[in-house]
Order: sequence, then C-alpha cells, then structure tokens
Amino acid sequence: MIRIDHLTHVYPGSRKTAPRTAISDLSLQVGDGEFAILSGPNGSGKSTLFRILCGLALPSSGTVHIGGFDLFTQAAKVRTILGVVFQSPAVDKHLSVAENLRIHADLYGLRGAEFSRRRDEALGWTDLADRLDQQVATLSGGLARQVELAKVLMTDPKVLLLDEPTTGLDPVSRRNFLDALHRLQKSRGMTVLMTSHVFAEADDVDRVAIMREGVLLAYDTPAALKAMIGTEMVVVQAKDTEGLAARLRSEMGLAVRCIGDEVRLEETENGESLPLLEKILDRYRPEVLSISIKQPGLDDVFVHVTSRAVPDHALALDLRRTGS
Amino acid sequence: MSAMTRVTVSLAKREFTRFIRQPQRVVGTVAQPLLFWLFLGAGFGGSFRPAGMENVTYLEYFYPGVMLMMMLFASIFSSITIIEDRDAGFLQGVLAAPVPRLGIVLGKVLGSTSIALVQTLIFTIAAPFLGLHLGLGSLVLLLMGFVLTGIGFSALGFLLAWGMKSTSAFHAVMMVFLMPLWMLSGALFPLGNVPAAMKLVMLANPVSHALIIIRAPFYGGPVTLLADPQYLTSLAVTIAWAATCLGLSMIRVEKREKGVAAV
Repeated sequence: MIRIDHLTHVYPGSRKTAPRTAISDLSLQVGDGEFAILSGPNGSGKSTLFRILCGLALPSSGTVHIGGFDLFTQAAKVRTILGVVFQSPAVDKHLSVAENLRIHADLYGLRGAEFSRRRDEALGWTDLADRLDQQVATLSGGLARQVELAKVLMTDPKVLLLDEPTTGLDPVSRRNFLDALHRLQKSRGMTVLMTSHVFAEADDVDRVAIMREGVLLAYDTPAALKAMIGTEMVVVQAKDTEGLAARLRSEMGLAVRCIGDEVRLEETENGESLPLLEKILDRYRPEVLSISIKQPGLDDVFVHVTSRAVPDHALALDLRRTGS
Repeated sequence: MSAMTRVTVSLAKREFTRFIRQPQRVVGTVAQPLLFWLFLGAGFGGSFRPAGMENVTYLEYFYPGVMLMMMLFASIFSSITIIEDRDAGFLQGVLAAPVPRLGIVLGKVLGSTSIALVQTLIFTIAAPFLGLHLGLGSLVLLLMGFVLTGIGFSALGFLLAWGMKSTSAFHAVMMVFLMPLWMLSGALFPLGNVPAAMKLVMLANPVSHALIIIRAPFYGGPVTLLADPQYLTSLAVTIAWAATCLGLSMIRVEKREKGVAAV
C-alpha cells in the first residue's frame, strides 16, 4: 500500500551551513491493512519523511507509491485516498466542531445525505456528540484530537498517516485515542503509518521501523525486534557506571554496554540471567545500587539499535549533534 | 457546483466567520481609517486649496482615499492570516486534501476581499453627508472597483505572506513598501504639481490606478466613465494586477519545497 524506494532528501545549505542529508537511501513497505510505527530519535528524519509522504515536500531522489499511485507525478490521485493527522492540530480553533467537519467535507467533496451519514459514523466512537456547536478552542486536548481524527476518518481514507498524534495528551486520553485508532484501523482495514517515540504505543502494531540519521536501522514485527536483544537482560545501576562497566568487561569478560546511568548486559539466554546476576552481586556488591533482570521492551530495542553503531561514550555527543 | 467553487466558497466562508467572531478586529479596522479621515480632514481642511479644486473640501477629497486605504489594509491584513494558518496547522490539512491549488488561493483572497468590502461599504454611508450622490450605475462601478482592488491586494498579501516566517516581518514590508505606495497614489494629496520623476512613480503605481477607479464613480456615471481613456486604462491595469498576483500566488502554492541533489 505504501512503498518507498531509495528515498533521499537533502536540505539545501546556506552560505554558512553545508547541505544536510535528512534521509539517505531509505526503502520501506507497509502492506495492505498493516499498522506500522516509525520511530527514531529527534532529528532522525522522521518528520522529513512524513512531510514527503503527505505531499508537502519533494525529495532529492527516490520514489514513493501510495495505493499504486506515484506520489510525485499523481499527487492529486494520492490525496483522495490519503488521510493525514498532523502533529500541530489542523483544525480551526475559532470554529465549532461542526463547522470544522463541514469545511473538511467540502474539501473532499462530501455533501448531502452522504455527508451526514459519514459524519455521524465518524463521530460515533468519539465523545463529541453533544459538543458539536462548541468552538474547538474550548475543548480539552484529548477531545480536540478526537475532532482531528473524526474529521480525517470522515473521508474514509485507505491510507492514514499520523505524526506523533498523542503528543501533549495525558495517559488516559492517549490510551483512548490509540484504542479507538486500533479498533477503527481493524474494522476499516486501513493501512496506517504513524510516527511516535512512545514505545508503549508500539507493542500491538504489525511493524516497527527505527530510523537514525536518515537511515532505516531496523524494520520488523515487535516480537522479532525484541528477539534481537535476547529474551532477558541484566540491568545494573552502579555508583560509578563507567568504572563498573570496565571492570565487568575486563574481569568477567562480559559484553556490557553503558546506557545512561545503567550498565546493561543484553543478549543473555533464558535461565542465564539469574546465575549471572548472583555472580555480579557476589563480586561487586558495594558498587551496586540496584540490579535486576528485565524482559526487553521495544524501548530497549530502540536504545540498542540506535546506539549500536557508535561507541558508548560517543552516544551522548552524537545525539546532541543530530538533535534538531 | 465544481470542486473549485466548493473549496473556494468553503474557505472564504471560514475567513468571514473568523472575522465576525473577533469583534475587536471588526471595530479596529473600521474605526482606524475613520479616525484617520476625521482627524486629517479636520487638520488639513483649512489649508487645502489645490488649483482647479476650489469647491472640493479636504474631507471630500480624502474620502475615496480612505476607502482605498480600507480596502488595501483590510484585504492585505486578512490575507496574511495565511501565516497563522500555517503555524496552527490548518493550512497543512488543506494542502494535503485533494483540492485544486487555485481554490486555496481564491478561498483566502475572496474571503479577505469580502471582509474588506463589508467594512468599506459601511463607510460608504458617509457619502450623502459630503454631498456625493451615487446613481445605480455609479454604485455598480464603485463596487466593481472595490472588488478588483480587494482581489489585487489580497493576492499581493497572499504572495508576500506565503514565504514569510512571522507576521512581524510582514508589518515591516507593509510600512516601507505599501504605505508609501498608498501615499504616492494621490489618496492623501493631489499629485498635480509634483516633479516629473514622481509622476512616473505614480503611473507605475498600481495603487494610483486603484484610486482612480474608486474615485471616478463619485463624479461620473457609467456612460461618461466607460468612454474615458484614463478610467479604462486604470481599470485594465487593476485587472491585470489582480490576475498577475493571483497567478503568481497559485504558482507559489503549487510548488513543493524540494530537496537538493544528493552530495
């Protein structure tokens, strides 16, 4: 449904800055009816990719096909099957919920009985039924997001793109929004690509893509990604993180990594972790603040994948440089 | 209704609804030119004695100029809301929708024009008190003048605002570029005895031509005006101006920001 081939995007430089490559030779496919999440640290090229996908920017090279149409030569066709939820709300705060829906319907050529039917259907799952005449500015953040999603769903898109849609929502609103999104995606068979850096959101999706510095580092099912770093890991918090890591490497021959203030021993097999934990505790008891065995989550995969290519001490610097 | 009309009407209606929901904006845009007119009229009234216009008071002379100012400022300031639309995200939603790009431009431009038109028409109520009486034909020509001026300047505002990052940059352009054009149009004082160089500026200044098509209907009916070469020239210039700005705006909207060749 979404097919990206060898996409490269370079931002023009100015007199003082060199041209900057935001996306470099990226290829990725999202199948029909799949729910995919695109994640990566700030400055990884997610937003640029998103702008290209919804037709607001043209890349330096490469092709994108959405629903079989070429995004760059048949943009008008793609727009009819595409629904986009932007990070900054695309509703007019000074207008009421009903007026916003009306304008959106006008843009997509929906009217009459068809409009009423689709509107009622799109509002069905929301809490907006008795707030149609309220100005969007007076709604809570969660409800305003509902307007956004209802509006986009009203046109029955085959492909839905969402850019960090849950930013600024409280945990309950976030959960409600995602539950609704998943339910609607399944019932309508929509293809969904959503950017996010909240990994709690990624566990029940079909595929997760991880980008860094414009390069696609991993793209797989959540289960397969988690399997990359073994089924268990030992996580130690120490008084002197670097010192303990060095000692574990040299004295025990363990392949540990420092991530923030934690020393991590990833890629341990089932059953190996507990004896290892006991051994570390035996030897370095006074150094250790806390030690635990953890089932890797997607956020651990993310940390693992996005920091793999560089030595640990360079990571902090590196993230600062690519941050936008 | 074609897709283009539907989109244009819907977006223009939005502009208008937003305008009425902000009463201070309505009061501000009507009151400011009105005060301008009354104060300058009161101040300059005594010393205004241009050759050949002995029986015209300054209030009357300045009246079409203030109307022009209202059209100019109201339409330009309404169309710079495109900057807000972009920052708030509304514009992205419109750009991602399957709508003709000209519809996006026309929606904003006609919305701005109608806002400016309403304000200016309120001001037209003053005409009889100045002893100016408009026949039906003149009224139609006046309205046409307003609409063309509004479209021309909203489209110019759109074109200027599209690439700008903030509204404050726009205000700077407004003060150093548009204000002088208005002052040199003959709106504030007659340009009868100015140096030749300034005369040239005046001829090249689209605002002067807009002023001519707004002032003329107060002093002549359709029969005289449509046979007057100066009126027809100004009309043609204003139409060409509006069409050019609309066309350029559409090209701007059509253009997607493009990445440069890989290094």
